[in-house]
Amino acid sequence: MDSIAKLPFYCVIIPLIASFCMPVFARWKKEVCAPLATLTTAAVFILTLIIGYHVSQGQILSYAVSGWDPPWGIEMMVDSLSAIMMMLISGISLFILIFSFAAIKYELERIVTGWYYTAFLLCLSGMVGLVASNDIFNMYVLIEITGISACALVAAKGTRLSTEAALKYLLLATIGSGFILFGIGFIYMITGHLNIHFIAAELTIVKDQYPILIWTTLSFFVVGFGVKAALFPLHLWLPDAHSSAPSPSSAILSSLVVKVYIIAFVKILLIAFGLEIFHETFIRHLIIVLAIMAMLAGSFFAFVQIELKRRLAYSTVAQIGYVFLGIGLGTPWGLAAGMLHIIVHAFMKTCLFLCAGAIAYQTGRKQVNEFTGMGYLMPITMGAFTIAAFSMVGIPLFGGFISKYGLALGSLEADLPILILVIVLSGLLNATYYFPIIGQAYFSQDEEHASDDHDTNSSSKFKRDQIPLSMLIPIVVMALGVIYLGIFPGTVLNFINQTIEVLL
Amino acid sequence: MNLELILLNFPYFVSIILFSMGTLIVLTQPNLVKKVIGINIMETSIFLFFIAVGNMRGGVPPIYDPNYPQALYVNPLPSVLMLTGIVVSFSVTAFALALIVKLYIYYGTISAPNFMKLK
Repeated sequence: MDSIAKLPFYCVIIPLIASFCMPVFARWKKEVCAPLATLTTAAVFILTLIIGYHVSQGQILSYAVSGWDPPWGIEMMVDSLSAIMMMLISGISLFILIFSFAAIKYELERIVTGWYYTAFLLCLSGMVGLVASNDIFNMYVLIEITGISACALVAAKGTRLSTEAALKYLLLATIGSGFILFGIGFIYMITGHLNIHFIAAELTIVKDQYPILIWTTLSFFVVGFGVKAALFPLHLWLPDAHSSAPSPSSAILSSLVVKVYIIAFVKILLIAFGLEIFHETFIRHLIIVLAIMAMLAGSFFAFVQIELKRRLAYSTVAQIGYVFLGIGLGTPWGLAAGMLHIIVHAFMKTCLFLCAGAIAYQTGRKQVNEFTGMGYLMPITMGAFTIAAFSMVGIPLFGGFISKYGLALGSLEADLPILILVIVLSGLLNATYYFPIIGQAYFSQDEEHASDDHDTNSSSKFKRDQIPLSMLIPIVVMALGVIYLGIFPGTVLNFINQTIEVLL
Repeated sequence: MNLELILLNFPYFVSIILFSMGTLIVLTQPNLVKKVIGINIMETSIFLFFIAVGNMRGGVPPIYDPNYPQALYVNPLPSVLMLTGIVVSFSVTAFALALIVKLYIYYGTISAPNFMKLK
């Protein structure tokens, strides 16, 4: 029992130690870095599966780091929400790492390989720690670890665009974490605690004495986490950073990094501040308005992009809106659907970005209007792309449908039926920028691009994808994950609801 | 609001003013190095705020002295937290400057409007 409570701590410390060994191994032999990073991530994944099994039995793991008990020391606490996010983070990182075997050789200079995996494992360790931590200052430190290593993942490519995007990301992310740190200072001033549960107990007593200070703190947290998680008007860094990074980095940034901040935000908002403050202040109305803007504007911006990866990046802005909408609704279905959307979106956006990377690897095409005949050239990749895109639009039998359906139920519960219209409209906008790509890939009669493929006459026949198996497997697994979540969402939903019943 | 209260709590006001200044500099200055300086001003203001929260008027350093068992100690925790904050701020500055050097090699300028455009 005691040793199991320590597992979340090991999940943070193993990749942390391994990341600092990477440059050493890179000096010895560049080729061992990728398999070693994969083994480390696999070990973390197995640990999180064990944690997940124990949490699913209904117990909550709590561990005081190095024996200092909660009010003074750092506490790591894993409930079912944290457990499933830890499994998601380590699992998806594992497949992205497998993809990166071939992609990194193609996209990065050889000299940065070791440092790339250093940044990757640091990012993993920060993310896992962030969802498991129960201490807000420890959260701040892990937010910075995740943020800086994410910037390094963007800058690794070393081109003009990616350096520029990384600097923009770094400056804005630092402003965001500055706001978060100031908010933490306010909380410490009001309550004198840093542990989330102690803050919650203290805030219920003193909240009527400091109404203005609590408003200030909440707004600081919304701005800080809004910048970090790319909530719509604060999303400016995201499209550049996600589109100019190497494709494994884009996948991990878009599917995991922006989400862990949302988990931290949910913990602070719903546990530390508690439901009373959540409903009394107008914070949920603000979040709902920002989420609606994100869902519509993100899709509009995505529609006008020509480069595939920029389109996917703007699509992430829109999808973050769905997650925040679920939080803003604050009803059991809304919150559960928001959290489910984090999981579904992690699968489908990883799949889309990896497909974009694979297409660029085989054919070098990066624009959305160059997709003629792609369905015949790379049938498996385009098949996975189609599945993920269908899920993005919200077609039944795919994962995206379940979370959107849950959000619609949640908005009925919150007595705001007008939001269903917004959800449907945003889904239709998604269709307008994904379906042309798919249509062109399979049904286009345009023969201009076919001549680029060396043998003109066979351009309308299916060929096998000319990409390595290590790239193909992650793409297929992600696509299967999307379908699995669409057909059997029950297990995951029950797992999330364990926590949400306690929260709400 | 009486004036005395404001004067006694001036570190909070100073830190808020510095924080606003720092944020404004990051967002409005075209020069990238000035942006980094703005980041530093912003983070320093937060350190000031934390230490002001921990401070106590008439407090002594938190070292146990058997001769004065009733002494009023300053809260050491915020100061310790800010050590971590300083390390974070330092590493962000170093990383940002490294990226700026790289951009200078590419573009020959460190003025942001010349290349950072909203796409």
